[in-house]
Amino acid sequence: MQRVVKDMTEKTGIVDTLEERQPYIARKQEKGQIIPLACDNNSLAGAISQRACVYSGARVVLNPITDAIHLVHGPIGCAGYTWDIRGAKSSGVETNRSSFSTDMKELDVIFGGENKLSNAIDELVGLYTPPIILVYSTCIVGVIGDDIEAVCKIASMKHNIPVIPVKSEGFKGNKSDGYKAACDALKQLITRPPKENAAENKPEISNEIMKPRINILGDFNVAGDVWLIKPLFEQMGIEVIVSLTGDSTVKSISRASEADLNLVQCSGSMTYLAKWMQKEYGIPYFTVSFFGIEDISIALRKTAEYFGSEDIKEKAEKILKTETNRIMPEISRVRERVKGKKAAIYMGGPAKALTLIKGFSELGMDVVIIGTQTGQKEDYEQISYSVRNGTVIVDDANPLELAELLVKQKADLMVAGVKERFIAYKLGVAFCDFNHDRVVKFEGFDGFVNFAREVDASINSPVWKSIRQRVLKPETMSSGKEAVKGKISGEPHAKEYKIMDVEPELLSLNIDVAAENQISGEASR
Amino acid sequence: MTKRSYTTVNPCIMCQPMGSALAFKGIESTMVLYHGSQGCSTYMRLHLAHHFREPVDIASSSLSEKGAVYGGRENLKKGLRNVINRYQPKVIGVATTCLAETIGDDVPAIIREFKEEEEIGDDPKKDLIIIPVSTPSYGESHVSGYIKTLEAVVRKFAEKQGKDRAIKIPNGKINLITVESLSPADVREIKEILEVIAEIYIFLPDISETFDAPLRDDFPKIAPGGTLLTEIEDMPNSLASLGLGIVSKNLALEFLEGNYSVPGHSVPIPIGLSNTDNFFTELVSILNCPIPEKYQKERGRLLDAMVDVHKYLYGVKAAVYGDPDMVFSLTTFMLEIGMYPVLVATGSKSRDFGMKIRQIFKEIRPELEPVVLDGIDFDSLNDAVSDCSPDILIGNSNGRYIAKVRDIPLVRVGLPIHDRVGAQRILTVGYRGALELLDRITNAILEATDTFTSPVQAKPATYTSKVTEEECIEGIK
Repeated sequence: MQRVVKDMTEKTGIVDTLEERQPYIARKQEKGQIIPLACDNNSLAGAISQRACVYSGARVVLNPITDAIHLVHGPIGCAGYTWDIRGAKSSGVETNRSSFSTDMKELDVIFGGENKLSNAIDELVGLYTPPIILVYSTCIVGVIGDDIEAVCKIASMKHNIPVIPVKSEGFKGNKSDGYKAACDALKQLITRPPKENAAENKPEISNEIMKPRINILGDFNVAGDVWLIKPLFEQMGIEVIVSLTGDSTVKSISRASEADLNLVQCSGSMTYLAKWMQKEYGIPYFTVSFFGIEDISIALRKTAEYFGSEDIKEKAEKILKTETNRIMPEISRVRERVKGKKAAIYMGGPAKALTLIKGFSELGMDVVIIGTQTGQKEDYEQISYSVRNGTVIVDDANPLELAELLVKQKADLMVAGVKERFIAYKLGVAFCDFNHDRVVKFEGFDGFVNFAREVDASINSPVWKSIRQRVLKPETMSSGKEAVKGKISGEPHAKEYKIMDVEPELLSLNIDVAAENQISGEASR
Repeated sequence: MTKRSYTTVNPCIMCQPMGSALAFKGIESTMVLYHGSQGCSTYMRLHLAHHFREPVDIASSSLSEKGAVYGGRENLKKGLRNVINRYQPKVIGVATTCLAETIGDDVPAIIREFKEEEEIGDDPKKDLIIIPVSTPSYGESHVSGYIKTLEAVVRKFAEKQGKDRAIKIPNGKINLITVESLSPADVREIKEILEVIAEIYIFLPDISETFDAPLRDDFPKIAPGGTLLTEIEDMPNSLASLGLGIVSKNLALEFLEGNYSVPGHSVPIPIGLSNTDNFFTELVSILNCPIPEKYQKERGRLLDAMVDVHKYLYGVKAAVYGDPDMVFSLTTFMLEIGMYPVLVATGSKSRDFGMKIRQIFKEIRPELEPVVLDGIDFDSLNDAVSDCSPDILIGNSNGRYIAKVRDIPLVRVGLPIHDRVGAQRILTVGYRGALELLDRITNAILEATDTFTSPVQAKPATYTSKVTEEECIEGIK
């Protein structure tokens, strides 16, 4: 594969990149090593980061609230490029799939946009009678200094619905700051639980044992993921009040404070909110993932363990047994077809990157590159625990770095989003979309089957064989049947194109080790 | 929904920097850098990658809070330095965003300073060329961003040659300059026509390779292709300029005419019979040559096909939307083949649009009265569609919600087309493009009305059950 990229020669670092980018790329060298990696900084100018802005971070988190009007206060672009590009599914209304903007023009920039915003809110309330309006501020609002908080406050009182400002001026930090802005908005939607008042008013407390109740934080119901997870808990006798924010409504969010436990999946975006709920409402939380058999099992067992009832524990074990038995034949079939292949992971958030490491090991695949846009120090520590020696870890990567890494690390498959997809394709690397615009469910047991099948479909597609010879050379075709035969079997070309040198000891990674690492990593936080 | 005055719901335009990238990406060895916050470049890269299915690298000066307060000078310089370092482009297009414009950065001055510091000279043969364009998102739309950028490019290269070059060195070439981004397939078709007819021509901007790159043995940092810099430099020496698009002003063409006396002619984007006829007529009159037999045959095949399908299409009510000039040309074609464009709309604000559309109706089918709208968003388009009840939608993918709700077909043309493959290969220009479009429209209608493929209908097939046009006009009034 070296011949594919000619001018990418290794200089000092792992890849040829800007001096200032070098600290953000590291290779795990030895077992148990913690890799110090620069992270959580603003992107370097001119480096072509794959990150978006504060607004984007906030929008990603809040957009799945289905009955909200998501009003973007700014010029048209910000609203236009985020119009229904996320695959978060709704079981009810789909107000969130429309794009609302104040479409600020030059005059609004000169004279201020507060009036337009206030009129826009009035207009939208009149036309749609929404239960809530979320008002996002964009770069320009931060510069001209529109007081959107005041406008929202007045509008809220006037219309008697929550009109919540989301302080997401694009330049005020990076995507992670947008997550925080979104959580700050969510905080205003979660109301005090009625039981505190009820206890005073009603001395008679029902003897009936309440069903344990949980919230799932950081599941955005992409492609309908949550709909595969909720039933699992229901079968265990646990009520899921709300998933934040996948398929949520203002009403269901307001009840989040009634939960006994918060399960946090997308830790990058939601840990902040979980901590706040712990402080404010005494709701404990722990981090889980619903991707991959191992992680789902941990999630269900930990939850059952937390509530402590034998009944729940038994139910959890029963679900795990039946479901695992049900999907295992298909997983094993795919595993046979993809094992030993090398995967590259580049994700927005670290939680998904971490859980993917385990998912791939369940398919017998090795992770050779792992990176995120918004990982923090602890995330990268945990990642470096979980990956094998030789894996390259990268923060806030750019297209040229990713391309070079894919080649150097001999990746067979990349898991990332749309912008990365075409880099992989140009290099002849298989690809799996694990981003917000995917249309296939990846969570839960059936989701993992979907994932496995997609990985298989891309890795084992015959197109990779077809594209090996990118320039037609009649002389190589003319040697008759031998050449044709060789092409069909693929072997001669395979040797020329990709050298598979899997270290045998790496093939037998014990899944449990990775799992333990993750748990201990969490406990140490 | 009733009329809105303060909100835009589901926009039908994109912002100026997007148009700027579409133009810059059609120039040889060019990188684009947005002076603004990180999100702008990422969002627009995503949008373009969805549509063209190609890697799209656009740099950003990644302005942070500090930059917004104290000015973006250092970020912009650093961004330029890093882009040069990593990509070694021959040109960097610097498009501003609303943030950079509002904090008041003097981008041309910063670039001058940067060039001095980095000792970048002004020799177009060896030195890097940096072209600033002012494209705040709060002004106009992607269409204006596109036009402004082409003008900035042509101006930069013309002026680089200095005043000493007062005497023109006629090159006998013809300049082709578009006012809206055509698909890579469209650009390829026009280039092919020019190669057959003229041999020497300059097409600006040429995205045929950069946004539709073949798989190759290496992974170039900047997609090869695009209008050559030497060609852009040579544009003031050309015989004439032919502008594609007549609704929007072609600033680059006007600049060459005003400053370098290159006569400029504009024709509609050559979609459909008469528009393609116009295009060929202008070409052969500028170049003083006959129309090659090849295109006479293609034209003949188009005529043959138009006759074949005329009954399927007669009176079929269509709503067409998108960028002004593309909509104008599509509308012309629909009128020619007997369709009834009941609703003709563009997201851009344009006074000329309505006038030009009405004019073409008057010329071809004066008895029809369309609803013509400019500055629309998709919510108002939806209202208009409800009033006009077209049988078919013609426009970009964002109309799919409307088409789905009303259960009518959508023929996809324009940008963005992110929910189907092949956006970069959609051919609409020239006689071949007209043929392909004709087949697509007709087949979409057949798919919807053919009792073998569509659900059994209570009423007869669409075109026979049509209320008469008079009634329809009444209805609209």
